[in-house]
Amino acid sequence: MYDENKGGFLAKVIGPKRAWRRYKARKAQLPSNYRTAIDAVEHYLMYAGGGDGAGWETVFEDLVDLFEQSAAHGTPIREIVGDNPVEFVEVFIQNYPAGGWIRRERERLTSAIDRASNAESATPADEGSP
Amino acid sequence: MGKQITEMLKGTLEGIVLAILSLAPAYGYEITARLREQGFSDIAEGTIYALLVRIEQRGFVDVERVPSEQGPPRKVYSLNTQGRDYLDEFWRTWSFLTERLGELHREGR
Repeated sequence: MYDENKGGFLAKVIGPKRAWRRYKARKAQLPSNYRTAIDAVEHYLMYAGGGDGAGWETVFEDLVDLFEQSAAHGTPIREIVGDNPVEFVEVFIQNYPAGGWIRRERERLTSAIDRASNAESATPADEGSP
Repeated sequence: MGKQITEMLKGTLEGIVLAILSLAPAYGYEITARLREQGFSDIAEGTIYALLVRIEQRGFVDVERVPSEQGPPRKVYSLNTQGRDYLDEFWRTWSFLTERLGELHREGR
């Protein structure tokens, strides 16, 4: 069954709904403690902004890839996500263009600071005047 | 030392992984195993995996899916020309850093 999976490419071909069902099916095959862990990551991603927007299929596909590989090797959960699971998820999600509202808000913050900073350098004479 | 090395590794892990891949192509678990052998025991598998996803997206590695006897196919990563160039840059930056830090260390004694 595994050879059906060809990476993020697959989601584009079969569409988001089927990609999601396939992800669910792969998740269901995992040993229960791995499933508990991936469920928790999935839940967090939904809230932190990884679970919506375009491209999330790849995120979850890569995520289940990781847990499948780790389960196959018998890597303990703690060694997959590390001492700080929040940090793991944050680093993981940075790789993807998906990321829903949080990414939009990051872009908004960055461009607002850019604008403020540019306005500052355009009028340097104002600084220090009474 | 635990916390400090974790912080320092954040900036260098990418270079470390590229350096490992410059020796031979490898898949995720092999890379983590090698790091553990070399004493980097606290590095999470997921951290390496996220890093591999990133270097793949940045075009530093070529990826091949190889069937595996135990479980899903493995993604085998090999360093390409772009990755080698980036690794060269990493070592130049590293040399600069170690040189400067060495100077500071000597002055501070």
